[in-house]
Amino acid sequence: MSSVTLSTVLRRRSDVRYRLIEGEAVVLRQSASEVLVLNEVGASVLDLADGERSVAEWIEALRGELEVDAETLARDVLTFAGELEDAGMLEVVAP
Amino acid sequence: MSLSRVIATTWRENLLFSVLVELTYRCNLDCFFCYNDLALRGEPLSREQYFRLFADLREMEVMNLSLSGGEPLAHPDFLALGARARELGFVVRIKSNGHALRGELARRIRDEIDPFLIETSLHGSTAATHDRQTRVPGSFDRLLANLAEMRQLGLRVKINSTLTAWNEGEIEGMFALADALGIPLQVDPEVTPRDDGDREPLQVAPSREGVLRLFRLQFERGRAAAGETAEVARGGDDGTMPAPVHKHCGAGSSGIAVDPYGNVYPCVQWRRPVGNLHRQDIREIWLRSAGLAEARELTGRVKETMDAQGPGSHLLNFCPGSAATHTGSPLEIYPAAAQRRELLKQVIGEEARRPLLPVLR
Repeated sequence: MSSVTLSTVLRRRSDVRYRLIEGEAVVLRQSASEVLVLNEVGASVLDLADGERSVAEWIEALRGELEVDAETLARDVLTFAGELEDAGMLEVVAP
Repeated sequence: MSLSRVIATTWRENLLFSVLVELTYRCNLDCFFCYNDLALRGEPLSREQYFRLFADLREMEVMNLSLSGGEPLAHPDFLALGARARELGFVVRIKSNGHALRGELARRIRDEIDPFLIETSLHGSTAATHDRQTRVPGSFDRLLANLAEMRQLGLRVKINSTLTAWNEGEIEGMFALADALGIPLQVDPEVTPRDDGDREPLQVAPSREGVLRLFRLQFERGRAAAGETAEVARGGDDGTMPAPVHKHCGAGSSGIAVDPYGNVYPCVQWRRPVGNLHRQDIREIWLRSAGLAEARELTGRVKETMDAQGPGSHLLNFCPGSAATHTGSPLEIYPAAAQRRELLKQVIGEEARRPLLPVLR
């Protein structure tokens, strides 16, 4: 169970490599030789995980791009951030 | 969403995804069948030119960057270039003979470059055979020690080998060595002419029986690995086989190779220069090279040629670059490919006749 909250700050793990191909993100976690392909929104989230901005700030940044109500967006982003953390793609930055 | 679909997109839309850079043709071994054109001359790319190339490739969203040679570690700026590649977020592969990959240098590669994969070369299961190929006494023992050290350091390593008349009797031993080290081994069943067309390496091409033995062994190992597909094909740089598109391969469409003098080719095996980095930057070559446009068109025609071959054409594992080197035409089926299809059909037929259940006695 992920402990990601709106105030959590996450960054991509150092062994994660990714590129944006036609709006999708191809993500490789080198240590596990695992590849993920994320859609446009997933790619945006990965891009936002810079170790500086909190999840709340990601949601704010995404709000202008997506036609979805705030509550749904927050819930989905939190869930997705937790999934990326569980998959070893993101790690929490200590406050 | 699958990686194969993304790769197919890069082929279709001509999105550069993988680049192989031959940093130098210098080498600390002297392999008999080395395919490099060692007589090729030119102005080597400078460190600054490599930095600019890498920055351009980053902006073009290139993901895979392979540092090759010759022996790439013999380039005086190897560590600096590798570190820059890491900084720019490439998935870095190093194609090395493994001879110098030990001690402080191996540690620095791990810490400063963090490559996704280091590919090394093994030429036999005995020192006599391996050293005969490398023409450097002691290279076999040193490679085995280096492979063990790399594993201990936590580096991800793969062993590549080319089947030859010299090592075809040792292929089981080579797999056993790789298994003991816990390192995957990929064997290419084809010896190719040199990049300048010199056919001397073909003197050590494997026999028909040797290739057949390799295929049988690969199928057997595939079965033993509980359903894993036997790896009998040449893999792409990223190890994936894209979904069907209108091109046979990604040569010049999603991948290119660059030699030490800045010449750009559609693929490491297709030595047809399409531009030079001393005269143009990579974006200009990628967007405007007539040679690249022609290579892309040719890969479409290769696809049509393969489709016309009917079922089983994939068993040819046809490479337009190899075809061009062997026959002068990227469209012509060359003997090694035809033999591969014939022998694979034979082995697949043998597999189909195997009993599904073990026979109880």
